Amino acid sequence: MASVKLTDVKKVYDNHVTSVHDFNLEIKDKEFVVFVGPSGCGKSTTLRMIAGLEDITEGTIEIDGVVVNDLQPKDRDIAMVFQNYALYPHMTVYDNIAFSLRLQKMPEDTIYEKVTNAAEILGITEYLTRKPRALSGGQRQRVAIGRAMVRNSKVFLMDEPLSNLDAKLRNQMRAEIILLRQKLDTTFIYVTHDQTEAMTLGDRIVIMRDGIIEQVGTPMEVFEKPHNTFVAEFIGAPKMNMIKTELHLIDGHYYVSPFGAKIEVDGEKGQELKQARVKPGDVTLGVRPEHMLLCDQPSEATIPCKLEVNEMMGSELHLHLVTADETRLIVRVPTIELSETRRAQLTYGSELYITFTGKVMHFFNPETGKNLIYHP
Amino acid sequence: MSTNSDLEYLKLNHWQKIGYRIARFFVGIPKALGRFFVGIWRAVSTFFQLLGRELADIVGTFVHGDWKTRLSFVVMGFGNIARGQVLRGILFFIFEVVFIGYMVLTGGYWLSMLPSLGKVGPTEVYDEILDTYTTTYNDNSFKILLYGVLTIFFIIAFIYTWRQNVKQNKLAEKILASGKPLRSGKEDLRSLVDDQFHKTLLALPMTGILLFTVLPIVFMILVAFTNYDGTHNGYSNNLFTWVGLDNFNTMLNWSVSKGSGSQSYAATFGEVLTWTLIWAFFATFTNYFLGMFVAMAINKKGIKFKKVWRTVLVLTIAIPQFISLLYVSKMFAKNGILNGFLMSMGWIQQALPFWEDPTWARITVIIINIWIGIPYLMLITTGILMNIPADLYESARIDGANAWQQYSKITLPYMLFVTGPYLLTSFTGNMNNFNVIYLLTGGAPTNPAASGAAGTVGYTDLLITWLFKITTGPDSQYYLASVVGILVFVVVALISLIVYNVLPSIKNEEDFQ
Amino acid sequence: MSEKRLLDASSGAPVKRHMGLKASRTAANTGIYCLLIIISVVWLIPFVCIVLQSFRVESTWQEGYVIPKQWGLDNYRNLFQTDFPRWYVNTFISALFTAVFQTIIVLCMSYTLSRFRFKMRKGLMRFMLILSMFPGMLSMIILYRVLSDLGLTQANSVPGLILVYVASSGMGYYVSKGFFDTIPKSLDEAARVDGATRFQVLKKIILPLSKPIVIYTVLTAFMGPWGDFVFARYISFGTSSGMNVAVGLYNWLNKDQIAKSYTMFCAGGVLVAIPVTVLFMCLQKYYVEGVTGGAVKG
Repeated sequence: MASVKLTDVKKVYDNHVTSVHDFNLEIKDKEFVVFVGPSGCGKSTTLRMIAGLEDITEGTIEIDGVVVNDLQPKDRDIAMVFQNYALYPHMTVYDNIAFSLRLQKMPEDTIYEKVTNAAEILGITEYLTRKPRALSGGQRQRVAIGRAMVRNSKVFLMDEPLSNLDAKLRNQMRAEIILLRQKLDTTFIYVTHDQTEAMTLGDRIVIMRDGIIEQVGTPMEVFEKPHNTFVAEFIGAPKMNMIKTELHLIDGHYYVSPFGAKIEVDGEKGQELKQARVKPGDVTLGVRPEHMLLCDQPSEATIPCKLEVNEMMGSELHLHLVTADETRLIVRVPTIELSETRRAQLTYGSELYITFTGKVMHFFNPETGKNLIYHP
Repeated sequence: MSTNSDLEYLKLNHWQKIGYRIARFFVGIPKALGRFFVGIWRAVSTFFQLLGRELADIVGTFVHGDWKTRLSFVVMGFGNIARGQVLRGILFFIFEVVFIGYMVLTGGYWLSMLPSLGKVGPTEVYDEILDTYTTTYNDNSFKILLYGVLTIFFIIAFIYTWRQNVKQNKLAEKILASGKPLRSGKEDLRSLVDDQFHKTLLALPMTGILLFTVLPIVFMILVAFTNYDGTHNGYSNNLFTWVGLDNFNTMLNWSVSKGSGSQSYAATFGEVLTWTLIWAFFATFTNYFLGMFVAMAINKKGIKFKKVWRTVLVLTIAIPQFISLLYVSKMFAKNGILNGFLMSMGWIQQALPFWEDPTWARITVIIINIWIGIPYLMLITTGILMNIPADLYESARIDGANAWQQYSKITLPYMLFVTGPYLLTSFTGNMNNFNVIYLLTGGAPTNPAASGAAGTVGYTDLLITWLFKITTGPDSQYYLASVVGILVFVVVALISLIVYNVLPSIKNEEDFQ
Repeated sequence: MSEKRLLDASSGAPVKRHMGLKASRTAANTGIYCLLIIISVVWLIPFVCIVLQSFRVESTWQEGYVIPKQWGLDNYRNLFQTDFPRWYVNTFISALFTAVFQTIIVLCMSYTLSRFRFKMRKGLMRFMLILSMFPGMLSMIILYRVLSDLGLTQANSVPGLILVYVASSGMGYYVSKGFFDTIPKSLDEAARVDGATRFQVLKKIILPLSKPIVIYTVLTAFMGPWGDFVFARYISFGTSSGMNVAVGLYNWLNKDQIAKSYTMFCAGGVLVAIPVTVLFMCLQKYYVEGVTGGAVKG
């Protein structure tokens, strides 16, 4: 139940490697913020600085308006869930959860009440007398969350808590974390490398790369208005297709010419380009795989491709295509939209025609990678 | 190396590859040495840069500081007390008082005597009342050197503490200026079990190491530049004094003889060093390979009673070495059990000269060391062998490797990689393996040409046992022992440095992980 | 017809080859058994001999045979006429104290180097590595004179010896640091976030998990003084009442002593070996773990 504010936070390791550059972020009370990015982007380091497990080289971190730079982790009133759970192997589940309460010298009957209460919520009551060794991955995860839960602390930190679980369990735990969040009603900071987790859990997502924040925004914002090619490619799976092409302005209408085709940037997108005063010329055009359309016939607005790989995912097909100049594109087609005969034709080497509408186009500066409309 | 030459390397045949690697090893040595000297140069230059920065900071603190800070330059801890950090301030102040008191009372004397190591030796004075000569002990070179070194340690500690005192004043001013409170004494104490806990934990061990390892080593290095020995013991017979590099000249100059009829110290040193290296090589590698072999034999699938075999071997570790070594040494004696047995069986007519003939003695020592060493290596290698992933062997067998190929292509490289650092420490440990040599042979048989004024030297003497013999020898030539000790250090350090810098297996830590 | 032959071939050959494989494995295993038996005999002979000779009555001299012609406990009885009980007690006391204090110091040192990242850490480790390259024996000369000034040598050598053993033991931190390194750091971090001070982390989390390494350290520290010869000899400096078993028994094998005390040496050796060996065998498991881990960590 607290706000967290990071001002110009910087982390430089002993070997002079800068892990986090001038990190600025204000996290509101009761907000769920997700730090996401590829490994080594500094997201965990930032979290650990908030927890007090890493020294802060420069800048300040405030929790509830108090600068905590020089406070030990124990004095920051935070709770944290670790990637490998970090359960104390020599203690039972009950003792693990009770550990922090005992350090606070809480009376045993209060501890009993709190621990059993948390165990109830997490469904681990029957394991309370076991040692962590005797638990499955998912149960350990619950104990780790329980340990953090009973503390009623101001900020709840989670460092890749689901990455050691298998895919099925991960989906289940993700849903439980959403439920938990509603019950706990406190400030969450969550670190992950998985964009799905970030999109589903976060009120706001902080996308990081090489110690720098690339974009901060709600899941919808980062998905629809990515500030640059990195964010555009990182969010969404399979990743966005990037096409080097030219932007033309003919009779007040914008056109793109990918692989010799001519597609108009119609509707709102065209207006937005105009408002942003985007000049014609070289652009990087981004189109998400699910926004590409398969056409039966070639036309002026279609791109001819050859099919390389057809991945049948069940509800949808992922078609890996290659254009005449060896550019690789991915198209995502719902299985239901294709007839059985049409699907049977989709084999190695078959000729396909694809197109897309103006609405789904993203325009990036080919040199800087910045979004020409939203983040010039 | 570029990718291109990597591919070229792959085209070479087996022998060319080996030749290439050997060539690279030797090409690597000057590079490694170069890196070493560049490293030293960098260290020196950063030291002076640091010194300059520190001085600038000290002056800056004085110029910009308030009167409390400035007074603290003279009265340590004043600033702390004036700003409310009473505990710290008092500790600073007490340290300053103790230091000044010590320097005035005794430290100054020790320091002033250090350049001469004492002026007046013991004197005999005629006592008229008792009608006899009584000896008065005056200066004590030993104590002067010892306390002189301690005083220098103390001065360094004082300068460091003084610097901390100045730094804390600057920091306190800065913290107060930003409107925050300073740490109280209570918080200071609490931090000693929390964020400063490492200081609490290290205090005791580091004091022990400083007083019982660092101080003696510094002292003994200095002794190598004096004439401290049994006849110059520093107080009761003669004082000792600085002699510069004379002792190194004695030890390393081939033309300086030990006395009539015997060879130079340099020649003896060369002989003993050669044997030490030969010994260390064989002691390390015979144990390593035979130990590994025994471990593999015991661990082989289908062999029963694994625990029994292991326990029998481990018995050797359990029984204190001096018992087993002394006993085995007597077993191999001229009139020992072994010779007695062989003679009673009629296989030999005369006792075998296990300890009397130089070559026999050297080989016997190495063989008995195998008896001592195999159990350790068996234990160590067993653990590592079990850690080799089984799928490596499975895939090798599918690829058609036979038992020997599996050993030479998988087991051995893996073992060498994992135990590389252990082999190095084991090698240097064997160079200094006092117990085995001293308890087995005591260095015997004596090498008449090498023995001289500094006592006897034997064919199985290592540098370390020789060093011991010098100190317990007729004149207890401590200065020579120190020189030998320093040379042992140089040899060990050189070997470690070369191995660490040139051997790729130690550098590429992740290869097998 | 041809089909039948084919069948024969395909069923016969593998069986034959299988038997060959099995036979060769049995042969190899037999070879290994022979080897292991020889090894066991070679490794046990000295210990069997020393026990047998300790019961010999007819001669106190080495002799070229092993099995006593006249059995008896004379040598053991004679041991108690000498300073041997004193040496034994000296060694036992120094072993006991060394075990306690050395363990504390080693654990402090190794835990700190494993868990804390302070400014001088790397430099400290390098410094200790360099220190360990100096032959420790050199220090004895000065330590002897300092201890003798303090009155801790010769007859009072036991406290002096304990001091020498314990003081520098911080340098032997490698093995236990290697052990601590294997305990995940996130346990410390979790405990600190849970509100523990560094001291509480050590007390409540790390120590309960460190039983194997504590036992290993106690065991090696306890065994050290039983086998130490150099320092003990230096510090006792010829005074019999200040010697430990190693120095005392060594002197019995001197040229002028051996004739009358060789069998007594055997008896003394047996008495020293029994408790140490029993203790070691009981705690063998921990020793093996420590030694293996230490070698791999380097």
